[in-house]
Amino acid sequence: MEIELDNGGLVRQIQAGDRGAEAELFRRMAPRIRLYGLRHLRDAYAADDLTQQVLITALEALRAGRLREPEKLPSFVLGISRVTVIELRRTSQRRERLLETFGPDLAPAAQLPVPRLDHDQLERCVQDLRERERTVVMMTFYDEQTGAEVADLLGISEANVRVIRHRAIHQLRACMGGTA
Amino acid sequence: MKTEHVDSAVLADYWLGLRAEEAIEEHLFACDRCCDRLREIVSLAEGIRQLARKGSLRMIVPDTFLKRATADGVRVRQYAPPPGGSVECTVTAEDDVLVGRLAANLSGVWRLDLSLCNEAGVEQLRLQDIPFNSSTGDVIYQESITYLKAAPTNKMIARLVTVDEVGSEQLLGEYTFNHTRSLPGPGAW
Repeated sequence: MEIELDNGGLVRQIQAGDRGAEAELFRRMAPRIRLYGLRHLRDAYAADDLTQQVLITALEALRAGRLREPEKLPSFVLGISRVTVIELRRTSQRRERLLETFGPDLAPAAQLPVPRLDHDQLERCVQDLRERERTVVMMTFYDEQTGAEVADLLGISEANVRVIRHRAIHQLRACMGGTA
Repeated sequence: MKTEHVDSAVLADYWLGLRAEEAIEEHLFACDRCCDRLREIVSLAEGIRQLARKGSLRMIVPDTFLKRATADGVRVRQYAPPPGGSVECTVTAEDDVLVGRLAANLSGVWRLDLSLCNEAGVEQLRLQDIPFNSSTGDVIYQESITYLKAAPTNKMIARLVTVDEVGSEQLLGEYTFNHTRSLPGPGAW
């Protein structure tokens, strides 16, 4: 069932008990929550758990009419995500309880598309970078060095590292056809 | 902010934890297009990490990179010929990364190139304007392990060459790697 609603309309439909609108909420928000989870938890399984928990919490709140400004749905879900990450870091007990209750309804949330990567092409693209760009990219993405650390190790300014890193990322995306 | 999409380099900074989060996250929760691009960045980041562990790139690496690789369980083989000297070297099936440590006095160097030559001293490849830190006293060159595992027994000469503001070059150090093939394969190219 295709539903094309703005956030305000979507929230009102959910409050009216529309299950299709709830499915649309999941479809719209699950990828965003999962990305947030990957960023903050650095673990795919934890990000999946976060996605489910946030959607459950959001749905409970929306059904109960606790979002007073429906147009602010994205900020509302982000707020829940932030709180949930803090909770997740503290304990996993609540997760288990909620999953027992809602788990079967949430299976689609974990099935998110992941961009395919041509690793051979990526290797060619990285090898085509300038020497400094390649080293900075590797230090940043693999070695997880901050801009200041890279600058110190390479004897250049932090601003210069940022310029090199940004130029390299743009070149890599272009080399990968913008679908890296 | 919703209609102004976030630059992919800024998204990369966000992903790497190098940038304040709040404004970007507000945008991401309202913008499918930027979420898609962030997913591309995440995929790219993972691809780069895999590439680093694979050891197939020719590149200059810092010590921290090798420490991280070792901590990740990557098997690193290192050789350190003295300036003007040579070293007997090989690569085995168990090695993941192979590097040469090229000791040199880098103080006062403006630009540095790494010239890779065959046994006759003829340049085959040049890495221009390589990154270096004058305080470290060496340059760590990672050779492609994919290439070396396939290579026959041969001699490679690496030369560190300084380049000044007007393009004049000066040899800073020369290092000879006498590679002996220890894996089954061709005796020569």
